[in-house]
Amino acid sequence: MGKLWVISIASIFMLLPFLGNAFSPESPTDRRVLVLLDDSAIKSSHSIYFNSLKSRGFDLEFKLADDPKIALQRYGQYLYDALILFCPSVERFGGSIDLAAILDFVDSGRDLIIAADSSASDLIREVGIECGVDFDEDPSAMVIDHIGYAVSETEGDHTLIASDDLIKSDVILGSKRIEAPILFRGIGHSLNPANNLVLKVLSASPSAYSANPKSKLSTPPSLTGSAISLVSIVQARNNARILITGSLSMFSNKFFRSGVQKAGEKTKHEKSGNEQFLTEISKWVFHERGHLKTVNVKHHKVGETDEPALYRINDELEYSVEIYEWSGKSWDPYVANDVQVQFYMMSPYVLKTMSHNKKGLYSTSFKVPDVYGVFQFKVEYQKLGYTSLSLSKQIPVRPYRHNEYERFIPAAYPYYGAAFSMMAGFFVFSFVHLYSK
Amino acid sequence: MTTNLHFEMVRGLVGFMVLLLLLSICEAASFYQPISDSHRSAALELFSPDHGSFNSLEETYEALRTFDILGIEKKPNVITAACHLISNAVGSSSSTTKDLFYALKANSIVKCKINDKAFQDILTRLNTAVNDASSLLDFYYSIGGLVLIKLSSCFYFPPYVLIHCLAMLNQSSNADVHLTNADEIFHSVKAFSQSDGRWRYSSKNPESSAFAAGIAFETLAGVVSLASSELDQSLVSTLNNDISKLFDSIEKYDDGALYFDDKLVDGHDHQGPLATTSSVVRGLNAFAAVSDGSHNLPGNKTLGLANFFLGIGVPGDAKDLFNQIDSLACLESNRQGFPLAFLMGSIPLIFSLPFTVISLTKKNSLQVKVNTVLGSNAPPLTVKLVGAFTSGSKDASLVESQELVFDAGTGLHNLNNLPKSIDVGSYTFVFEILLHEPEHEKVYVTGGQKKVPIFVSGLIKIENAEIVILDSDLGSIETQKKLDLAGQSDVSLSANHLQKLRVSFKLTTPCGLAFMPHQALLKLRHESKVEHIFVVGNSGEQFEIVLNFLGLVEKFFYLSGRYDIELTVGDVVMENSLLRAIGHIELDLPEPPEKAPRPPPQPADPYSRYVPKAEITHIFRAPEKRPQKELSLAFMGLTFLPLLGFLFGLLRLGVNLKNFPTNAMPATFAILFHVGIGAVLLLYVFFWLKLDLFQTLKLVGLLGVFLVFVGHRILSYLAATSAKLKSA
Repeated sequence: MGKLWVISIASIFMLLPFLGNAFSPESPTDRRVLVLLDDSAIKSSHSIYFNSLKSRGFDLEFKLADDPKIALQRYGQYLYDALILFCPSVERFGGSIDLAAILDFVDSGRDLIIAADSSASDLIREVGIECGVDFDEDPSAMVIDHIGYAVSETEGDHTLIASDDLIKSDVILGSKRIEAPILFRGIGHSLNPANNLVLKVLSASPSAYSANPKSKLSTPPSLTGSAISLVSIVQARNNARILITGSLSMFSNKFFRSGVQKAGEKTKHEKSGNEQFLTEISKWVFHERGHLKTVNVKHHKVGETDEPALYRINDELEYSVEIYEWSGKSWDPYVANDVQVQFYMMSPYVLKTMSHNKKGLYSTSFKVPDVYGVFQFKVEYQKLGYTSLSLSKQIPVRPYRHNEYERFIPAAYPYYGAAFSMMAGFFVFSFVHLYSK
Repeated sequence: MTTNLHFEMVRGLVGFMVLLLLLSICEAASFYQPISDSHRSAALELFSPDHGSFNSLEETYEALRTFDILGIEKKPNVITAACHLISNAVGSSSSTTKDLFYALKANSIVKCKINDKAFQDILTRLNTAVNDASSLLDFYYSIGGLVLIKLSSCFYFPPYVLIHCLAMLNQSSNADVHLTNADEIFHSVKAFSQSDGRWRYSSKNPESSAFAAGIAFETLAGVVSLASSELDQSLVSTLNNDISKLFDSIEKYDDGALYFDDKLVDGHDHQGPLATTSSVVRGLNAFAAVSDGSHNLPGNKTLGLANFFLGIGVPGDAKDLFNQIDSLACLESNRQGFPLAFLMGSIPLIFSLPFTVISLTKKNSLQVKVNTVLGSNAPPLTVKLVGAFTSGSKDASLVESQELVFDAGTGLHNLNNLPKSIDVGSYTFVFEILLHEPEHEKVYVTGGQKKVPIFVSGLIKIENAEIVILDSDLGSIETQKKLDLAGQSDVSLSANHLQKLRVSFKLTTPCGLAFMPHQALLKLRHESKVEHIFVVGNSGEQFEIVLNFLGLVEKFFYLSGRYDIELTVGDVVMENSLLRAIGHIELDLPEPPEKAPRPPPQPADPYSRYVPKAEITHIFRAPEKRPQKELSLAFMGLTFLPLLGFLFGLLRLGVNLKNFPTNAMPATFAILFHVGIGAVLLLYVFFWLKLDLFQTLKLVGLLGVFLVFVGHRILSYLAATSAKLKSA
């Protein structure tokens, strides 16, 4: 009895890591977010952003970054589904959080938003480096743009940048075009060219550079032009999503509300694009857009409905899969014209783009190649901003059986004819030989 | 409505300084803008009632109070809805003291009709509540309610509420609300105070907070004003002690903003610094109104608190907005010499500039605005420019001190013509505020000299721009091209590694002095997107860079080919900052040696990474070539020709069957033997048509046994017959 008890407890502990999964297609609405702040005043000064998250059903928990009681997990189970680091100057987190804890958090498929600024600490920079972005190493550097700055009557140092060089992706930024430029004041970063998971969402203009605005420039700035990324995103292989920006103030109510006029342009926008941009991109980060799931992966011979255990070479087959996208409230059909299926054994034998019925059902039909062996149906779908889909299903393909070949081949009739004429001659000869006198 | 607050339309107030210095990079002299239209529009946006009414009485009061202070006209439907809520709360016997408190507070603004009987009921209920109260909040709501009813205590309110108080006086016949046991209540509230100046909410709750302190001060102020007889002054003075202790725990930002914050780690009712500071300010304001002002705060504390509230900018939350506006109103509340006026130290005056970027080309004048925190006019004063310094330098002032001209129409102090000595550049201007009337200096606090960073921008003239290819050893000019940096230029040059490239230009300010921009960068971009950036240095008046390609081949990774040249010149005060693609240069560099450094990898284009793959279709094995069916049939016919020849030959030989046995027995066996052979041959035909090998072998086995048997009989018979014939 005691042994049974121990086993059941042990099995519960072994299952625990699977219970607290991050974004799960089963319960996507359950989102708890930990917000770590340098100063509790940020809660009020950035309230529009926080309120927009709250209104979308997120449960925000605000803590000071040096609070000794903060923890990301308890008894091996994560307490939050996402983490927002609005604490650029923190040197050491309180409680049990450190760099490794944050990386583990992301490795478990959870989401992260990092906002740094010119006071960014080494710790925040290290988190950035682990995510594939390098903030400018000069601690006093800021992004300066003498051409693309935001016109302001009270701030003349051109560190307030109006940028509109956005990535072209509806899934990341929403389908509504962001008309107004986005205000940015902070530090720039560059992307690690070896990391192909990180993407530049908002880049600086070609005239921008990253330097200390107060001192004379004697050496070339390490970051210049559109290589400077202002806002970047990462989608890890486990679909964890990360937003990294060098400006905390771009989330502030002040920037959300303020009007913007880019230098050299006539149009003055009543409101900056920050609110739209950051709200839309937070929808992406928190999986309200671009998260795909597949159901009902099916294949069968043309004209049949049941899935066979194996195919014969040269069979005609149909393959279908349903793909849905999470919209924040429900799973909506995903519509795209570039979902491809592969019939794969060591290398793809067939690669075909699937057609869809606009309701999420993707299907195609093709003929099994005349090569036998163990094949796979593979869907490797990767698209900018979407979670990657990777399906594979193994299926053997056999050759013809002996009686499945063609039986009467006209070209062989002369051989048959010769044999039968021989036999007829033999029959006649047997009479002649035995009975002729 | 006697609003003392004359709001000036503050034009061009863009961008409040961000609340925290940590967000701001200006270490010098950050200054705040007073309350402006953006607060008004934020108030209308944040306090938007659902279906005409607010969610709670508290929210109703906050909305009404904010609108009142900001001078926003209240919509009639909001007032009706508020009155409906108020009369519901007042009329209902189930409403809590908190509801009653906020109902009365809201009523003091909207002046709804409440009948006398209801007032009497509330009065008795509040009186019992005071006597039953055990926690700080119980006292706060019930005493607060009584204070609101007590009409003679109208002076307690900021002056513009006085009118409403007087209006209420007419409604209610019961004007003599007072506490007989005021001393006792004072003591029981005072019992919640802690030694550090913070207060507890109740005797059971050990946690103390500054937020509770503010509530306690407001409550005690109410007790003092409700006391039927004069309270013991020693009680009031102990409270003064508490206040100064509380101020010991005040926190400070680097820019001088002061605030209170409760460092409760997990307090479920933890308030932010704004709510806490606001509560303290409200409490002190209320307490100052009833005390004799013996504890007044130094002016810099008031200014620090005002800076804190203004530094928040426009809050994004209704509660925060109310706290900010209400506290600022408290800080400003002793304007215009209200009777018991000396409330909290002094009234802060906020110094602001609509523009700090002055363009020499547009001839803007330097304007200064001095307001109270809520944006109303300051008393008569003069703003004086004491000095102007180039940023970062400790040189003597560039200008002599001069007074700014006050324009009564716009309420701005103007410095119409910038001194001649001011060229483009960034400066720190130092201003001083001089109040005209000496007694104002006791009431208003200005905070001493103000240092303001000012940018003076202008058009920079670019001259003598040229690009030259030089021969390395001789220094002789190989190619020389003039550049028009203002317009488009597209030069195409070519050079090898033994040559040099020189780019030079000259920048002069409007005053004719040499100008040194912060950003003067030359960029060479190879076809493979590898970029090289050089800082263009200045030698005297001329900006010049010489690129000696011989020394740069390694840096250029030995990459020959086309390099695009881009020149960026920009500065904070340069209105015509430029980024020009000058043209390109064809570089012919030597072949890389074995161990040459490789160019760094360039980031991949994200768009091309995700394009769909090309389709693959399987190529099936082609079926083998076969002759036409007719040809096969023709050859099959040919195979029967030998058989026909054989049969024809037999006929020609004259074969016969004379040897066929005549006896019945051998004849039967002979027939059976040939039937058997025929069956075997037929079986071959069937084997071809449908049977498989196993079926065929089975049948062949049976037929074989039969054939052996009958074959033996007939063949032995035939052999015997022929032997007989031979022997015969």
